[in-house]
Amino acid sequence: MAKEIIKFALMFVALTLCQVVVFNHICLFGVAIPLVFIYFIVKLPVTLGISWVMTLSFLIGLTVDVMSNTQGMNALACTLLAVTRLPVLHLYMPRQDAISNPEPSMRTLGAAIFMKYALTLSAVYCTLFFSIEAFAFFTPMRMLLKIVSSTLLTFIVIMAIDGFTTSRR
Amino acid sequence: MRNLLNFFLRYSAWFVFIFYVVLSCWLLFNKNPYQHHVYLTSANSVASGIYDVTSNITSYIGLRDINEDLQRRNAALESEVIMLRQETRRLNQAIMQDSMRTLDSIGRYEFVIATVINNSVIRPYNYITIDKGSADGIGPEMGVMDQNGVVGVTNVVAGHHARIISLLNPNFRLSCKLRGNDAFGSLVWDGISPSEALLEELPKQVKFHKGDTVITSGYSAMFPEGIPVGTVLGSTRGEDDNFHTLRIRLLTDFTTLSTVKVISNRDIVEIKEVETDQPRAASGATPTNQ
Repeated sequence: MAKEIIKFALMFVALTLCQVVVFNHICLFGVAIPLVFIYFIVKLPVTLGISWVMTLSFLIGLTVDVMSNTQGMNALACTLLAVTRLPVLHLYMPRQDAISNPEPSMRTLGAAIFMKYALTLSAVYCTLFFSIEAFAFFTPMRMLLKIVSSTLLTFIVIMAIDGFTTSRR
Repeated sequence: MRNLLNFFLRYSAWFVFIFYVVLSCWLLFNKNPYQHHVYLTSANSVASGIYDVTSNITSYIGLRDINEDLQRRNAALESEVIMLRQETRRLNQAIMQDSMRTLDSIGRYEFVIATVINNSVIRPYNYITIDKGSADGIGPEMGVMDQNGVVGVTNVVAGHHARIISLLNPNFRLSCKLRGNDAFGSLVWDGISPSEALLEELPKQVKFHKGDTVITSGYSAMFPEGIPVGTVLGSTRGEDDNFHTLRIRLLTDFTTLSTVKVISNRDIVEIKEVETDQPRAASGATPTNQ
């Protein structure tokens, strides 16, 4: 249990740092921004209480907001993502009791289900984030382009991080 | 009572959810950047500490471009020095016949050199963090420029760091005019490209050409008159028939920003007082005609 807490605390710090120091400055073709820190929300154990998931998600969103001067945009999107997390998982995986380890990963869910799960969450998050951003400048085609390209980029980077961190064990 | 407790326990997740959503919406819709709290911006000590470290590492990357900019600026200044030297010689000759007075208003601006430690150009509301703060004489609402042109205006100031509202932020409007013409308009970013902005509300009778230089008008007290901002790319169709809306190519390259100058105007308090129409408490020479 304590090992898990330390692991997620380290993940929180590492992902936030990566996001604000590296990924916030990446903007492929002027549209695609990787929002990689949601990997933290993706990986939170399935058995964790919904209030805890929301609290942790809100906190990581707020931290990224503070560091990148986005004032509540990520905090709101992360809270909403935390709520949609379990329904999305149940969409692809009807029986929860079949999971041996509560932490979603390629091994516990199977590669196909985990990829669908991560891709859906990336899509949900990018849609939320860029819809909130559209309060500033509303240009529908550009917003759609941003959502699609950022979803793909976020998904690819998350898969890369996942492969990189789980292959060590 | 027990029922009430049960109710709260059963729906606790909903309360947590509503609480976070309300909190983040409150942050999100608090649009006025001057009301942002210093702990919730990148000027706070943890964020600026992290950005200090990363900027130390990454500041070497853009050096070639910055060097070229400086060379160009240096060449321009050198030619200006030669021109001014000739001018001084001419004036020195003229002073023999005529006594001359110089303007003392030029000395009212001071510059603080600062390094950019965090910067964004891809968000709808962009901000810049610098490594100088109130301890170095920086206050809120001071103009910021780099070697090429206007950068933005300071807004949240901590002890040793400050956050700047970038020119690439629709909350910031800058009063500008075309060089050689006194009619002024207002420069605002339209969120599309970090190298272009719009000059709005320029009166219709003003003649302009592609490539004309846009400079600060000096009406805002944050910037002295004549700081270059950009060049005219062309006209875009405005909604209002009485005004031009011009597309401007910005001279400042926001993607490779490194060293900036913060302009502090010693008269700003006085100008503010005059503008808000309040009598000065410290003024000794109040008019007494009754």
